[in-house]
Amino acid sequence: MADEEDEPGFDEEVEDGSSGVDVGHGKRKRLFSKELRCMMYGFGDDQNPYTESVDILEDLVIEFITEMTHKAMSIGRQGRVQVEDIVFLIRKDPRKFARVKDLLTMNEELKRARKAFDEANYGS
Amino acid sequence: MADPARIKPEATPERATSANEERPNVKPEESDDVPITAKPADENKDSSSQDQPKEELKSEMAAGEDEEEGTSGQPSSKRLKVEPEKKKEKRQKVDEDEIQKMQVLVSSFSEEQLNRYEMYRRSAFPKAAIKRLIQSITGSSVSQNVVIAMSGISKVFAGEIVEEALDVCEKWGDTPPLQPKHMREAVRRLKSRDQIPNSKHKNILFH
Repeated sequence: MADEEDEPGFDEEVEDGSSGVDVGHGKRKRLFSKELRCMMYGFGDDQNPYTESVDILEDLVIEFITEMTHKAMSIGRQGRVQVEDIVFLIRKDPRKFARVKDLLTMNEELKRARKAFDEANYGS
Repeated sequence: MADPARIKPEATPERATSANEERPNVKPEESDDVPITAKPADENKDSSSQDQPKEELKSEMAAGEDEEEGTSGQPSSKRLKVEPEKKKEKRQKVDEDEIQKMQVLVSSFSEEQLNRYEMYRRSAFPKAAIKRLIQSITGSSVSQNVVIAMSGISKVFAGEIVEEALDVCEKWGDTPPLQPKHMREAVRRLKSRDQIPNSKHKNILFH
């Protein structure tokens, strides 16, 4: 169907607007290309995913972050993004909710452990 | 959540501090989601393979700490306070089971599977770029926890799309690597399940 690997220089133009995916950010520099490739491999794709697929995924992720940020700004304390707002927005999605809870708990534990470690070092 | 390569990811504060005395180099850095939360994450992953021999030591410590939460013969006024500790004990046991199961699973991985699993655990979005992106949208600075949370859910989001696209790919009889048409179909399916936020469409009720 569409030529995927042949013309990597035309990444932005290959994504047509009829897909419903927001391609308005085509001209921006790619922020997450390397990390997304590793991530796609980790999630089950080939070891070398297609550049166009990586680009589509990057646009989707950036759109997701943008949407979440805008929503978080409009609830709770206006104009600011706080963790509670993110947790509230994600409450209906069990996977993401559990993940955020885990990450934040783990971060707290790490901070406590590091602090205790530093104090122990300082004392000795 | 269970990480077979490490011993006690869900360390309680007591455990964390007591463990620090034993292995100050490794314990503080232990984190389940290594690339996302902690900067010294990569050191942790490297040293985690050495953690396995110390596994029994850890579970003994866990058992030793659990007995602090014994609940026999408590007056009913204390019962309420004691109930969450019983649940915590049960949750710790469930976590330990899960950790053991994960260890058995990972130990039976082929090399290709191990590579993929390592990529799955280690890959993460760069915090600086995420922070810059969020700050460019809000116009004000955001706390570190926000960046941690946002990169975490973004990774889950990317995973959902890739998994759906792999389903589509398999259903259409294609093989990976994923092509844009698979990604687009995956997005379309997720949108119909409301898993992709879209606040651009205004529902005009009466016009």
